[in-house]
Amino acid sequence: MHIYKTIKNFLLDQDYFIDLWQKNIHIYGFSKIEILQENRALFIIREFKLEILGQDFRVLKLTKNEILLQGIIKEMRFL
Amino acid sequence: MKESYEWVSVKVSNPDRFFLKCHEKNIAIYEIQRMNNEVKIKIQTKDYSKLKQIWFIKIKKIEPIGIQALKKKIQKHHIFLIAIGIGLVFLYVLSHIMLSVTVVHSNQDIRFLLMNALEEKGIKENTWRKSYQEIEKIKQEILDEYPDQLEWLEIEVNGLNYIVRVEERKLEQEDSTPEACNVVATKDGIVKEMIYMNGEALFKRNDSVKKGDILISGTIKKDEETKSTVCATGSVYAEVWYTVKASVPLSYEEYEITGKTRWNIKLKNTSYHDFLFKSRLETYDEEITPLFTLFGTEVSFVKQHETVKKVFTMEENEAADKALTLALEKISATLEEKETIIAKKVLKKEVNNSTMNIEVFVSVLEQIGERQEFTVEE
Repeated sequence: MHIYKTIKNFLLDQDYFIDLWQKNIHIYGFSKIEILQENRALFIIREFKLEILGQDFRVLKLTKNEILLQGIIKEMRFL
Repeated sequence: MKESYEWVSVKVSNPDRFFLKCHEKNIAIYEIQRMNNEVKIKIQTKDYSKLKQIWFIKIKKIEPIGIQALKKKIQKHHIFLIAIGIGLVFLYVLSHIMLSVTVVHSNQDIRFLLMNALEEKGIKENTWRKSYQEIEKIKQEILDEYPDQLEWLEIEVNGLNYIVRVEERKLEQEDSTPEACNVVATKDGIVKEMIYMNGEALFKRNDSVKKGDILISGTIKKDEETKSTVCATGSVYAEVWYTVKASVPLSYEEYEITGKTRWNIKLKNTSYHDFLFKSRLETYDEEITPLFTLFGTEVSFVKQHETVKKVFTMEENEAADKALTLALEKISATLEEKETIIAKKVLKKEVNNSTMNIEVFVSVLEQIGERQEFTVEE
């Protein structure tokens, strides 16, 4: 999967992407984290904001423009 | 350049706030392990200084373990490790190079012969040390090569030196017995015992003889006519007399070992000898163990036993007894097997300058017969 994604990123040259699976969410290409709490997270991605609501959010990895979050995701919306 | 990472333990009450701060400061977190009030994170080493700027957390570096830790330690101390490595190699080389070969024997020809044989076999100066098996093989080969000259051979490895001990083979020479000889007296005395195989005894027990008298004659006579000549052989034991003088001081000094020991290294050259460390003992006995010879300087390990000087004084009688024992020892040292002291008498005893002087008359049973050749007139 990793190779596939790397090739895809390279070919499509995406500005951002959001992957969601089971209890994890992977966000690439955000510019700022506004809120990071156990039940709520808010990211600024280019021209919109991404709000995630849920429970027991935990950061698994964090870099400048990429984050891997774990937790029960109940709701996700663009603002 | 390859990035280096490290684990850091962070004490924080609100981890989410901490992650937000990390993002604000552009610190990438590659792995996270959460505990109660503590978060362990894997960051790039270069981000550690940024992490220290966050004021509401307490951070502590986690020392790596396993191969990574080993690699890090090796990198940190690589100069020291290289120096130790070079030192070990140097020590190994030094301790396996033999700097001298010494053949211990009084005969120069044997020494020369052996030095050449050893050199042919590869035992020479400034060469790699031979193994025990090689030395044993060389020993046997040399003994096989020179069966008439060498009886026994031992090659010792003493530090950086080969010490070769050798026993020369002495072939028994045929005993040449002269055709005609007498046994004559070498001293004045009274004959006590006579044992002879050939010849004719001219004296009996308790006969008095003078130096030069023929004791056992090689001329066999019958009715005053010489019948034949033989080489007289035998032993003649006679009582002979000596006057011996001995002196013993009434007071004397002796050094007694206290049991206190010190270790030191001795450097000895042809022109000087000195200790490597300062000796803290005033008087001592030395026990020297040679280690090796380096550039002409003999290096030895020395065990110093501390001694103290003690002065002993003797009574006159005690000194007289000691002087008598000394006088008798002087005589005994010259005696052969079967020769004994028969009687003794103190002739003179006096004290002069705190010294006991005695003169002893000693009567000794001694072999006085000596073979003397003579020519037979036709």
